[in-house]
Amino acid sequence: MVPPVRTAARPFRDLYYVRLVTTGLSFLLFGLGGVLLGIVVVPLLLVVPGGGAARRTRIRRMIQLAFRFFVGFAHHSGAISFSFAGAERLGRPGQLIVANHPSLMDIVLLIAFTRDACCVVKREAWRNPAMVISVSAAGYVPNAPTDLMIERAAAVLSAGECLIMFPEGTRTVLHRAMHFHRGAASVALRAARVVTPVFICVEPPSLTKAMPWYQLPVPRAHFALRVGHDIDPVAFRNGPLPIASRALNERLAATYAAEGAGNY
Amino acid sequence: MHDRDAVFSELRATLVELFELDPERITPEARLYDELEIDSIDAIDLMDRLRRQTGRKIDSDRFRSVRTVSDLVDTIHQLLNET
Repeated sequence: MVPPVRTAARPFRDLYYVRLVTTGLSFLLFGLGGVLLGIVVVPLLLVVPGGGAARRTRIRRMIQLAFRFFVGFAHHSGAISFSFAGAERLGRPGQLIVANHPSLMDIVLLIAFTRDACCVVKREAWRNPAMVISVSAAGYVPNAPTDLMIERAAAVLSAGECLIMFPEGTRTVLHRAMHFHRGAASVALRAARVVTPVFICVEPPSLTKAMPWYQLPVPRAHFALRVGHDIDPVAFRNGPLPIASRALNERLAATYAAEGAGNY
Repeated sequence: MHDRDAVFSELRATLVELFELDPERITPEARLYDELEIDSIDAIDLMDRLRRQTGRKIDSDRFRSVRTVSDLVDTIHQLLNET
């Protein structure tokens, strides 16, 4: 385990060892909660009578509540802190929410604060016994193969649901320019009523791809989420799709570049 | 029976329209990804378009081995001559 660097005579470590315990507990809660949700709660909700869409909404609501509880625990126990500006503008019908992806917490925070959200999830989740029932029952979209993902994601938006996507695909590598895959832009042009960017900044970097969970930052990580201005995809729909999706993708990349995202 | 040359010229027109490519660049040997910058997302858009043009369901697996314009012409040609 790597202790924090001592920088002052009386080092400020922001309750390092307390946070180590609460961070460990948070992970434990998340792991156990996920298993409980995946093999007990969601299967029970599946047998509650009611139509497909109502059942799916109920399951998404349960996942949202579980994530909200988890985020609350991590926040109040002091493992992390977070702020979320503009969350009330998430969860509209046909809304495509795009976000940069610096940490493991991103999707948890977004789902926790978005009503009845669908999301594109990496397909490994469908091979994980603790997750497969939840992700299927919630109607989430596997990220591959790309052509099927695009069709399914567009169908979700056409049906008036709200969809969360990370155009970078995988977690951002620190201090490297962001690279947006055009999949999100293509989905947006096919079916989104509105595209809403969310800017996620984690300071200091935490739970990134390159860090083990127990290597805690000093001070504790703050996750700042901010909902940006809506982008109207109609403005990009006047040409052939390949050209239009490049233009929309560039617009998204420029929006994030202007926010300084990718340098966190 | 569809003629291979006719398929090529129709495909060329489609590529020009969809990707705003210079028709001169679309030769049978041209590699779709490296030379014409048509990536996997474009391939999906292209397949949608071909589906509408040919009225046939195109299986994306058939496109995975396509590298050049000529490969694509062969694939479409085969597809059109299937019963």
